[in-house]
Amino acid sequence: MDREPVFRRKTAISYKTEEKTVLRGYDLSELAEKGYSFCDAMFVMFQNRIPTENEEKMLKYEMGVFMEHSMSPSAVAAIGVSTGRPNLPTAIAASIMTFGGVHGPGAAHGYMMNKYIERAHKEGKTLDEMAKILVDEYLDNKKPVMGLGQPQHIDSDPRAEPIHVKQEELEVGGVYLEFQRAIEKHFHARRKAEGRSYVGVNVVGAGNTALCDIGFSPNAAWCIGSVCRGFSCAAHALFNMKRGRAWGASRREPMVQMIDLSMIEYAGPDDRIVPKQQERQQYARRQKEQGEYQNWVI
Amino acid sequence: MGDLNEEKKKRKIGNLGDRKMPYDYYEREYGTVPPDTKRKSFRWVSEVAYKNVHRIVARGYDTTELVEEGYGLVDILFVDFQARIPLVEEEKMLNYVMILALEDGLSMPAAISRIVAQSKTFLTQACGASVLAFGHAFGAYSAFGNRLEEYLKRAEEQGKTTKDIAKLLVEENLNDESLGVSGLMLKDPAAKRMLDRAEKLGVAGKHIAFMKEIVEAAQQISPEPVDLDMLGAIGAVMMDLGFTPEATWAILAVTRAFGAGAHYIEELERGSYTRLGQALTPREDYDGAPDRPVPDVKDRDKIAKPAQTHTAEEWKEAFEERKKIHGSGFAIIEEIEDPSKKTGIKKVGR
Repeated sequence: MDREPVFRRKTAISYKTEEKTVLRGYDLSELAEKGYSFCDAMFVMFQNRIPTENEEKMLKYEMGVFMEHSMSPSAVAAIGVSTGRPNLPTAIAASIMTFGGVHGPGAAHGYMMNKYIERAHKEGKTLDEMAKILVDEYLDNKKPVMGLGQPQHIDSDPRAEPIHVKQEELEVGGVYLEFQRAIEKHFHARRKAEGRSYVGVNVVGAGNTALCDIGFSPNAAWCIGSVCRGFSCAAHALFNMKRGRAWGASRREPMVQMIDLSMIEYAGPDDRIVPKQQERQQYARRQKEQGEYQNWVI
Repeated sequence: MGDLNEEKKKRKIGNLGDRKMPYDYYEREYGTVPPDTKRKSFRWVSEVAYKNVHRIVARGYDTTELVEEGYGLVDILFVDFQARIPLVEEEKMLNYVMILALEDGLSMPAAISRIVAQSKTFLTQACGASVLAFGHAFGAYSAFGNRLEEYLKRAEEQGKTTKDIAKLLVEENLNDESLGVSGLMLKDPAAKRMLDRAEKLGVAGKHIAFMKEIVEAAQQISPEPVDLDMLGAIGAVMMDLGFTPEATWAILAVTRAFGAGAHYIEELERGSYTRLGQALTPREDYDGAPDRPVPDVKDRDKIAKPAQTHTAEEWKEAFEERKKIHGSGFAIIEEIEDPSKKTGIKKVGR
């Protein structure tokens, strides 16, 4: 059997021989045998260290609370893909790939915090002062402050505040928690002063803060959140594959299906005649000159 | 839209007015289908979870309450996939399995993740891509598990011992990538240790027992030295923990995606991006048609041979010729079925 590497790279993460698989110097099998948890292994993977007991507990809490979120864009993607009955991993992959600039923007929140904490350090400002600057800069520029607000949990994300409190209880709060709390304070104060409604911290604002304080980089934190969600999206896809209708359009189901024809609302150009090839050049030129098509360009 | 159809009918559109058409294309309506008021309107039906403004609930358990009570990711995998709280020993066992599945060196999920990373993508794109590496050869937990179930069912139906059915399973599948027995772990004790751990924790059941019989049968039949491999160990343990083959496939693929994320990060930290057209393919790796002049388009009819065959003999001859063209797809035989019930039934062969 060919056991040549599929890909060659210098790596500080792991190696694998016929005898063992080694992660950051630790034999994986030995890690498991000695009673370390999967969350411990995540610290080894991303941080090259064994965590404290409370750090491990914090990660366990964060991954546990983030894993399932019922119908979010990621679950919808997984279910949508599963309707074509491909192999299950494609639905899972789609769900993880749904995490971008809006859905669970874990890395963006982390980068935002790092950038402003760095500024506080450079400019000799307190974290509280810098948090106010951050809030003002974002809101003055009409940019959403990462980590605040959730379109479904409109009056406080059920996961977020408990994460903050758990971080404090476990005494794993650091510079990030202090900074995030200050962001929230100034954000709420400004919205109140502007007569606007209360917008609570979301699971990214709270969870990512905890992940940063226990030593994960913005990208590692993003990986933890988005991949973790892949587990529950797999369950949603699997439920639909095993119990649901393929295609999602059957007219025999008692409930209108996801892509039943009646679910389509068209808002584009009116029905029109396809020009013959002989008419094409003149037609296309006129269309281009008139420019009405630009209303529809996406 | 009658007028528009009338106008189109007069203008004639391609073959749409052909008498062989089973319908009159010009009579077809325009416009969307009105909302269906006779049936219940669409809702996202789920047995797995729901949420409202204030709660997220998985299989009846509020997820915030779960973590506040000390349950974690590994426990909630049992909740999501099996609608139950696991025993402490089961939670320990799944932790063990997931540690072993987290990292596998620069195997395919890591390699794919790194390749995607080179294109300056989001991390999530690379992690998602890594999951796609899990098929019916690499990480073939679905194929493996469904086979185990199938033969255990056969043993029951045919009144055979599991030892006899294990022998039959090996005879019929010795060289299959998803057997769970191979020459991959002759020197690495990790797979066997995993089964020992399951037994120590008291979570070993019929799948592990059957797996051991499969290993024994394979060792007797195989001309090469073979032993339990990681697929066989993890697959059997997961099924004894109550996970279906598909749930196992999903959980292990996602677990590996965390590792793929670390590889994405390292690729960015230590490497550089790759641009379109940057990577070359050496001439010496090419063994296709020799370099040749591109004929003038006006000479096309003189050179082009139509693909159509008109008898079964001609078809067979052409088919065999086409099989010699690497990349044409004719040399691959696949049975692609609806994997709704079992996702391990796709047969791929040459």
